[in-house]
Amino acid sequence: MDLTARDVMDTRFYTLRPEDTVADAVRSIQEASRETGQTVFGMMVTDAAGKLLGMLSIYDILLLLRPKHIHIWGEMEDLEVSGVLEAACRRAKRMLVGDIMTTQVVTITPETHLLLIIDIMIKRHIRRLPVLENGKSVGMVYFSRVFNHLRELLSS
Amino acid sequence: MPIIAYQNVLQGLTVQEAMRRQVVHLPQDAPLEQAVRFCIKYKVNALLITGERQEGLGVVSKTDLMGAYYAGLPISSFCNAVMVGPPLFCRAEETLDAALDTMRRHRVHRLYVRGEAPGRVVGVLAYPDIVGLLYRYCLNCQKSIRRKSGSEPLPDRFQVREVMTPEIYGRREDDSLQQVMEGLAAYRFGAVLIRDGEGAPLGVVSKTDLILAYKHEVPATAPAREVMTAPVQAVDAGGALVDALKTMIFADVHRVFVYQESPRNLVGTLSLSDVARFRSGTCRACLISRIKIEGGP
Repeated sequence: MDLTARDVMDTRFYTLRPEDTVADAVRSIQEASRETGQTVFGMMVTDAAGKLLGMLSIYDILLLLRPKHIHIWGEMEDLEVSGVLEAACRRAKRMLVGDIMTTQVVTITPETHLLLIIDIMIKRHIRRLPVLENGKSVGMVYFSRVFNHLRELLSS
Repeated sequence: MPIIAYQNVLQGLTVQEAMRRQVVHLPQDAPLEQAVRFCIKYKVNALLITGERQEGLGVVSKTDLMGAYYAGLPISSFCNAVMVGPPLFCRAEETLDAALDTMRRHRVHRLYVRGEAPGRVVGVLAYPDIVGLLYRYCLNCQKSIRRKSGSEPLPDRFQVREVMTPEIYGRREDDSLQQVMEGLAAYRFGAVLIRDGEGAPLGVVSKTDLILAYKHEVPATAPAREVMTAPVQAVDAGGALVDALKTMIFADVHRVFVYQESPRNLVGTLSLSDVARFRSGTCRACLISRIKIEGGP
């Protein structure tokens, strides 16, 4: 049994636009998680023609929340800063996806062998890989789904 | 734990205790658009530009990106078109005093930490990192007034006016971004106050606003009001330093404007590093070692 990306990819994937705000993106992530029944940690960013421009992950959003100068005021334990998290969220919500997305995205094709996918995921610390066919996004391979496909082989 | 000496609280501390190990870097053929995105995403003022073997070749700062915008370089240009090199280095085992001397001598606020392999960079030391560390050691110092007070909160001893810099660089709302950039470059300010036709403060244009405008392809001839951040974050000159500090923390900015009597009457600026330095000075050793770099961040 030679599994490839085509066998394990999720063809029901969700995309963002670079002009979406972070608030739009978070709503899309919540919606996708609800519809798929799995927590979605990142989404593809595409243009109107479906061309992949980048990826936005929860990590990218958390980076935005981290205060720039926390290395200074984080030392000030005597300082009362309740409400600072809400303020950080208010600022982050307005940012555009295109300004914080990751553009150096590793992609695979539907014919990429599952062992090669595992190799890429391990070496590059990647948990999701967009699948492109003729330059267009056709699916997404998730780390957890790869394991789900191998579960039977590994346990029998 | 280093020994706190009489003359200098930094004595005994080395670069590795203050440096950050996450160095945000890009290859020299990365487009400027990516450099802008990295500055925004990682909230850094400069990026290390690396060669094929990951060796540090130069630095691209927000100021350099602003210069590219001013010069009309396409945003697709490569980083090596604007990078300044080679970077200034220090070593992890070097004393913080020596690193600060290097910063003062070269009038820079950031040094890269050289690793064992030739050209390899293992960290970055910025002026605010030292200020943060200084604050921590002062609080832990046996002589610290705050430590002696136990859990009792101390009243803030300083007012904003004692720490602020009484200088402001301002432009009018219909001045072009080009004019704003010319002023920023000439006066070495981090941000420009934008006023309306009657001189009232309207907003602020920072280097971050300018590089985002560059990325969004806003023409450099556009008026300042188009990209400014509003409202102006300002604090009362007679207010306590701790309240000013909270304003900076909540707005996630390094500098706020200071007003006297009315928020329309701005009289200076206050930086987070200055506040941290003053709030740390609770004993003689700290007072002596208050650090400053000319034109500091």
